[in-house]
Amino acid sequence: MGRAGGRGRGVRAAGERARPAARRARHRCRQTAVAYLFLAPSLAFFAVFLLLPLLFAVLLSLSRWAGFDLADIRPAGVDNFAALFARGSSFLTPVLTNTLLYALGTVALALTGAVLVAHCITRLRFQGFWRTLYFLPIVTTVVAVGNVWKYMYEPGGLVNGVLNALGLRSVAFLQDPATALPSVVVVQAWASLGSAILILTAGLKAVPHSYYEAAELDGAGPFTVFTRITLPLLRPSLLFVCVTQFITGLQSFALIIVMTGEGGPGDATNVAALEMYQRAFKYGDWGSASAAALVLFVLVLVITLAQLWLFRRKGADG
Amino acid sequence: MRRRGRVPWLSYLLVGAGAVVTVVPFLDMLLTSFKGPGEYGRLPYRFLPEAFDLSNYREAFVRLNLPLLFRNSVVATAVITGSVLLTSSLAGYALAKLRFPGRDLIFRLVLATMMFPPFVFFIPHFLILVHWPLAGGNGPLGDGGAGLTVSIAALVMPFLVSGFGIFLMRQFIVSVPDEMLEAARIDGAGEFTVWWRIVVPQTRPVAVTLALLTFVGAWNEYIWALLVSTANPRLMTLPVGIQTLQSYLDPHRMVPVMMAGLMLSVLPVLLMFLLLQKHYIRGVMLSGLK
Amino acid sequence: MKRRRVLAGLAGAAASAAGCGAPGRGGGGRPGDPVVLTLLSHYATDPLKSALQRVVDEWNAAHDRVHVRTTAVRFQDLLTTLMVRQAAGQGADIIHPYSLWAGQLAQAGVVRPAPSGDAARIERGFARPAVRAASVRGRPLGYPTEVQSYALYYNKRLLRAAGLAGPPRTWRELEETAYRTARRDRHGNTLVQGFGLSRTDDSTVVNQTLALLASRGGSFLHPDGTHSALDSPAGRAVFALERRLIDRGASDPGIDLMKAFPAGRVAMAVSGAWWTGSLKQTMGRDYRDVGVAPVPGPAPGNRGTVTTGFLLGVNAKSGHQREAWEFLRWLNDEVVPAGPGAGRAAAVRATRMSVLQMSVGTMTGRTGDMRALLAAGGDQNLGPFVDALDYATPEPNGPRAQKAKALLRKNIEEMWTGRHPPDAAVRNAVRQIDQELSR
Repeated sequence: MGRAGGRGRGVRAAGERARPAARRARHRCRQTAVAYLFLAPSLAFFAVFLLLPLLFAVLLSLSRWAGFDLADIRPAGVDNFAALFARGSSFLTPVLTNTLLYALGTVALALTGAVLVAHCITRLRFQGFWRTLYFLPIVTTVVAVGNVWKYMYEPGGLVNGVLNALGLRSVAFLQDPATALPSVVVVQAWASLGSAILILTAGLKAVPHSYYEAAELDGAGPFTVFTRITLPLLRPSLLFVCVTQFITGLQSFALIIVMTGEGGPGDATNVAALEMYQRAFKYGDWGSASAAALVLFVLVLVITLAQLWLFRRKGADG
Repeated sequence: MRRRGRVPWLSYLLVGAGAVVTVVPFLDMLLTSFKGPGEYGRLPYRFLPEAFDLSNYREAFVRLNLPLLFRNSVVATAVITGSVLLTSSLAGYALAKLRFPGRDLIFRLVLATMMFPPFVFFIPHFLILVHWPLAGGNGPLGDGGAGLTVSIAALVMPFLVSGFGIFLMRQFIVSVPDEMLEAARIDGAGEFTVWWRIVVPQTRPVAVTLALLTFVGAWNEYIWALLVSTANPRLMTLPVGIQTLQSYLDPHRMVPVMMAGLMLSVLPVLLMFLLLQKHYIRGVMLSGLK
Repeated sequence: MKRRRVLAGLAGAAASAAGCGAPGRGGGGRPGDPVVLTLLSHYATDPLKSALQRVVDEWNAAHDRVHVRTTAVRFQDLLTTLMVRQAAGQGADIIHPYSLWAGQLAQAGVVRPAPSGDAARIERGFARPAVRAASVRGRPLGYPTEVQSYALYYNKRLLRAAGLAGPPRTWRELEETAYRTARRDRHGNTLVQGFGLSRTDDSTVVNQTLALLASRGGSFLHPDGTHSALDSPAGRAVFALERRLIDRGASDPGIDLMKAFPAGRVAMAVSGAWWTGSLKQTMGRDYRDVGVAPVPGPAPGNRGTVTTGFLLGVNAKSGHQREAWEFLRWLNDEVVPAGPGAGRAAAVRATRMSVLQMSVGTMTGRTGDMRALLAAGGDQNLGPFVDALDYATPEPNGPRAQKAKALLRKNIEEMWTGRHPPDAAVRNAVRQIDQELSR
């Protein structure tokens, strides 16, 4: 597709200005062709890297395959799914429960922190400066974030150094299953705080100033203003942050790979996406890995729809 | 809202404390990267290094194949960013300004692609690249060879088009006045010329934003690059290279050298962010206004 | 196994980034060009990396027609690398997997049984447990290398400081020694662990548990490999012992054993033979404090431990099977003078691989070679490991062995960290492992 071609067509179109009806018909026809030409790369991409993979994932989840020869794919019915939920399987607990706790914890922490900070930032000077600081983790690779925190959590690291300086005992954050998952959740929340703050700030700026002035005239305190005006009007931004962070939380495992390797101690930080990765690429069990991926996919879908529904209903009530 | 006269101490305290928590890990990374052998992990913990030891950086330089890692990271990031910009702009223009049957359906499909979590495609993407027909020694049915995993295409293929990018572009192109487009068409410009001469310049700000978002995402991508470079180490990117570095280091120096390596990989992006943060921040805000 | 973290070397990501040709397609393919065989191992750091490279260089110098090129990744990434490269059609011609994976790799068609001539050589030349570890369904897949038996390492200085004359010989003595040597500071940070339990990796979590299990006469799986035998008095006793050591402050699994022992902060630990070489490097002069004794049993003189190992086999997808086996015979079966690099052992005759392993402080499954090299002036700490090859049992290596081991590890860690009491952890482990093995 070159510029010369486009210009050639344009020249011909100019010559046909005399007959409007026919011209319009041909114009529409040409527009359709051009539109599909413009869309072609994207549509081809979605066909190969979205549609085909989806079909492939479903096919594999119903098969038994070691991953090497396409001709060796053997049908297995729903065996892979059955095995995931069989007695003794660790997939339901603790892997799936960890996944949910991880996502839930991240959203709760990041959202609370972001609401507080976004609200307070609007009262400060040098807002841009503060926001830049909060934004640093987002532009940093997960390898950096994960490693820095991993070493900060170590017995000789920063966090325990501070605890000891305060006269407290050291905590084996990533080594103790009771603290390992929360410790990683804190890091994930820390890393996603910045974007949540920004989106909420954008939402806050959209709240008309007159609302606050009216509230002030009525003598409402800052807390009332916050709960009665700021929070309800922020609902769309909150919904967005909630939904996207939850989706991210349910499927992310890069941070876990960096910080705890294989999801240890025990299964304490093992999550569904990591389990899928290991089943496929370490144990060569592509069928059950694909089944795990699909289960997680359904979970993501259900939770997202549930959130949308909940927020919408509350919106209608309020 | 800012009230006059009173300094909002509580807000300063809260935001300041949060900022300390955000910045201190970066400072710890920087300071640890100067700590001498055996200095890290000694009890009690010390925030500042005893002597600023630059040898960790030398060590990271020696151990990492930086030319290869930088080349892979730069090429992959550039190709992905360029492709996302081009395809998003073209598709966005078609969806915003051209009339054709199936437009609404396609737009809805594009929106739907954003709902699919990437991990579902993780396994199939790998298999599709391995079994890409007539590449890397494969036959027409995609068996027998290494497929696209022999080339840098493996790093970029799954990221060449972005549903979010198309959506973002479309939303902006809609606001380009129709009169401008019509005037150009009456002057005899074809649709490609209209796109190139009018739409592209008009949407430059949002294009910068999209480019930055894509750049940062691609530069920092870890999981896919890890898988691809496991299959073929010549395709290792910076984040993967540095993560791999720790297994080759003397344990007593590992942490400081790792931190030095991380500084090397993080600095380019941090600097770029500080220079262009306005555009980047706008991008994140826009993504929230879907 | 953390051994490859050892010390400086060329290595680095750079090293592992070199060379990764697909099997059977090396050498450019023009007639007259040499065949290039790729070899994938976990010898990514020195001294192993250069020790292997030296032998390969020797082969390459003497053979025009067949060249060998080495590639390496760290041990933790080896299985994933083997599987992913195979799936991507880029597997190496010669692979060096952990023997635990033999069943999984055989089932996936990555390795096939060795040709009959090589199989006979393997069965003749190597100790029984080493051959069993490298075999699937009674047929060897490749040459056993780096055979590890497990024994008790102890720090003589720390034992002396606690008033103890020698290493423990029974479980009861082991516990007492552990409690007497452990020390902590006022913040609760561990200064010295009496007995090093560590979450560092599979070998520190599972292998030392399995060694203690074997010393008590127990085993992990039933002989047919279909279900776990852990729920036995021996299994419960090992879990309970480890739990007690932690509860009473003698063990701290959060500390990296591989760093703490060389730093003189662990009195005792169970580990493989390879660790002698690594400790000698990291500890320098302090290595003279290190002693090795058999894993204590219920009573003095009761013996039992576990062995693990690696195997050098040929990728089933390689287009150069014959050349690859030829190289492996040259490396693992041809007996040559140990050569000038072997110090006082120069006059001894052994295989190139035995000399290589000995030179880096570890062993092969050729008991004869090992004894001869040791007698001619090796590290005497290796003695108990060579002796153990006579009575040790190999890790089971069925198609899901690594997965079963991972499940066992997770349950041991749950028990260590107090999530489950020992008996519940044993039952939980057995349930999960049996479910996995039944698939």
